[in-house]
Amino acid sequence: MQRLKADVAIIGGGAAGCYAALSLRKQGIKPLIICKGLVGKSGASLFAGNLVISGKLLGNTDEQARDTAEFLIKYHNQFLIDQRWARRCGEWIERVYYPELEEAGLYFRRDDKGNVVTSPGKIRSVAANVQGNSGVPFMDLRRKQIIHAGIPRLEETIATALLRNADGEIGGVFCLNLMTGEHIIVEARAVVLATGYSDRLHARSTGTREMSADGIAMAWRAGATLVNMEMQWWHTNDIAHPPSWQRMQVYPNPMLGSEKSARMVNSNGEEFFNQQRDDPLAFGPYTVQLKALAKQVHAGKARYDGGYYAGFDHCDPAEVERYTTYGKTYRQLGLDFPKTLVETAVTSHYRQGGIDVDTATMRSSVPGLYVAGGVGGHSNGLIGLATYDGKVVADGIVQDFSRLKPSPPNSIEAQAEGRRLENLRNASGGGSAPAAVKDKLRKLMWDKVGVEKDAAGMNAALDEILQIRSELPEMRIANKTRIANYEWLDAIDVINMIDACELIVHSSLERKESRGPFFRKDFPETDNTQWLAANILKKSGNGFKFEARPYELPFFEPGFTKKNNLEVAW
Amino acid sequence: MALASTPLSPASRLGQIEHADTLALRNSRLAPGDPITVRVARSDGVAKQARFQQFSVPYQKWMRVLDALNWIAEHEATDLAYRWFCGSKMCGSCAVRMNGREVLACWEAVEPDMTIEPLRNLPLVRDLVVDRSPYEKKIASFEPWLERDAVYRGFPEPLSHREMKNASKALDCISCMCCYSACPVVRLGDLTDFAGPAPLVQLGQTALDPRNDQNKVARMLAQSGIFNCVSCYKCEEVCPAAIPIVTHVIEPLKAKAAALVPGMARHAHALRAIVAMRGRVDPGALVLRVQGLGAFKNLPRILRLLVRGKIAPLKTLLMRKTAATAAARRILNRVRP
Repeated sequence: MQRLKADVAIIGGGAAGCYAALSLRKQGIKPLIICKGLVGKSGASLFAGNLVISGKLLGNTDEQARDTAEFLIKYHNQFLIDQRWARRCGEWIERVYYPELEEAGLYFRRDDKGNVVTSPGKIRSVAANVQGNSGVPFMDLRRKQIIHAGIPRLEETIATALLRNADGEIGGVFCLNLMTGEHIIVEARAVVLATGYSDRLHARSTGTREMSADGIAMAWRAGATLVNMEMQWWHTNDIAHPPSWQRMQVYPNPMLGSEKSARMVNSNGEEFFNQQRDDPLAFGPYTVQLKALAKQVHAGKARYDGGYYAGFDHCDPAEVERYTTYGKTYRQLGLDFPKTLVETAVTSHYRQGGIDVDTATMRSSVPGLYVAGGVGGHSNGLIGLATYDGKVVADGIVQDFSRLKPSPPNSIEAQAEGRRLENLRNASGGGSAPAAVKDKLRKLMWDKVGVEKDAAGMNAALDEILQIRSELPEMRIANKTRIANYEWLDAIDVINMIDACELIVHSSLERKESRGPFFRKDFPETDNTQWLAANILKKSGNGFKFEARPYELPFFEPGFTKKNNLEVAW
Repeated sequence: MALASTPLSPASRLGQIEHADTLALRNSRLAPGDPITVRVARSDGVAKQARFQQFSVPYQKWMRVLDALNWIAEHEATDLAYRWFCGSKMCGSCAVRMNGREVLACWEAVEPDMTIEPLRNLPLVRDLVVDRSPYEKKIASFEPWLERDAVYRGFPEPLSHREMKNASKALDCISCMCCYSACPVVRLGDLTDFAGPAPLVQLGQTALDPRNDQNKVARMLAQSGIFNCVSCYKCEEVCPAAIPIVTHVIEPLKAKAAALVPGMARHAHALRAIVAMRGRVDPGALVLRVQGLGAFKNLPRILRLLVRGKIAPLKTLLMRKTAATAAARRILNRVRP
């Protein structure tokens, strides 16, 4: 057992967690990062394909600046967003984020003459080094900034429980070092959850191996209020085969230095989506694509798990490959690029919802527990937004710092958590391996809580979840080693996953409408009279209750009351 | 299964076979359901003595090495330890050796018959998991961040891709350590102070960036051991990110080291001067120039070299030119040191 102390424990080493740590360090507060994978190398931040130009940067016109904001609020969040937070975020990105990144050394791709290369159109973007791979140098830079700042990292270390101090506030984290099997208690005056929003809860999922809704599950157990857990985003054109490539995307966004972007065709070879033609404003047209695909599926010309194709057969190879990585995937499969299209499928992507926060400070409803980035329920998508949260949470903690007292975490809670982990390692029931339970859960979520869902299917899903839950004590771990025991990790993960899945299904049953990527077969209309509201999930005794909190609409409004969701542009 | 039935060929034909083994062929060699034989190196993390466990895995369309490992972990050996996060060639955490060659498991197509081992040149943790920390320490020792010698002028600052060309290639690095495992000089361990290809690529990201303070670059290059690189191109061969490591990173870094830290490049400078003067490599002259009188310390070696005709002291003393001298000078003058 190891005991460590820090001013602030940050769980997560992606864009939000890293920036929170750097901002706190700059303000004289000592952070410590707990990362289930490797800081800057795990989680969804790596997947940033490109970076959106905010405000009037790089010659953006007033109109383009406005389009960017509209796109964020409509297409990325379907109005389920604090618009004032979005405005503050946009201003910060324009004023601070880009200059700060470049000053630190991030290479915004130039041409040979020295112009920053952008994608043209109503909403423009840039790339770090190369489009499709921007997250890699971006997060590598963050990793190195963390090293430079001397911020301690616990890597390949799983945060398994939030611990309370004597005042009942969150004041520590129980961790397990996956490489050595050692238990670690981190004592901190505050804890920041920055575990991301791309959890691997469906059979096809963009989430990385380690993303198993740990943040959501730990926060819920600690009593935090959640919001919009049903709002699940989907990628529409990820490569259908093999399973490990389920996250390999044929990016639909406009390409740098070209007027074109990928097109999609159905099983008959008929084009059904071309971003330039079908949706010039939706810079990240994921939901627009999904709606176009749903119509193909209804017409029997595609399936959600394949049977349609995407690619660049209308482009010159040089046009695609000058500034993007897109050709490499096709070439690695030995396909004739760009002539050959590749079979694609739907993949569950970001969850818009998450932990409910005060967007001015990133406080959760539980004292001592703060949130940054995608695990929060206040917005969705984009590495810049997650980074901004890192700044806001650091400022929030600085503001609260004198109130947050150092106090050792409750040792009874800690001992109980240690015992729970050891019991899992020694699990010798007659049932399935934890990986098989994960698999079962993901299949069930895909089949019954997938793109299109209804009350009957979701109630059946709840029954099945209950059944799987009853089988958990029978799980069996083959090898009891402490060293790099991924099976033990799977057992810890699956308990978090099942809790998160259950909350997602309940939240999905509660929202009785369809909105953006959230399709209810039994409620096909987008209903702005009832559901232009946050779907708040609160713990109540041993159960939970829902509340609806309407969103304010200071800058953009949907402009209709009710409409079939498939006919709504966003 | 075209290749599986190909009989063993003489070494002279190996290149041709590899050449014919296109990506298209590799991805279509097997049909869904075909059994693949996979032997995985297992070790318990304590004794670390590896044994091989064999599995038969059903092929799935366009299957990657990672899919085979996932299948094994789901169906056969639930306790198999292997590291992976993203499955899409971004995190660089899943590199292993497949049939003796470093590959990124998520990127490489399966072979009908595969032996999977952990990366070399790094301490083993368990099964296929290696300890990354020696590599991370090396990178950190290069202080891999920009130190500007001029004030930042605001976004966007003046900079062109022409200036960033080599650094940009290095920025494709995903730290998968394939090249670090494949490098024969790293394999020599403490015999040299060579940092290794991947750490040099990481160094190149900032050292080849024109915005970086050249004094800092010099300081970092001085501890890189870069001239121990023998330019064997093993690193380029295995790089899943297709970074031209030797051509666009190590060679430009060597040139920078030769200019900024001339003492490091004594061997290279001497070789160049000799070839320019004589039109050939003269090992005797080279050793004399690099080691000075210290070269005479090992007399038995000198005798051996003499007997085998490797050195010719008379020709060295007379600095005899060969017929190729003029051509050698012309070529060398085209490339500035």
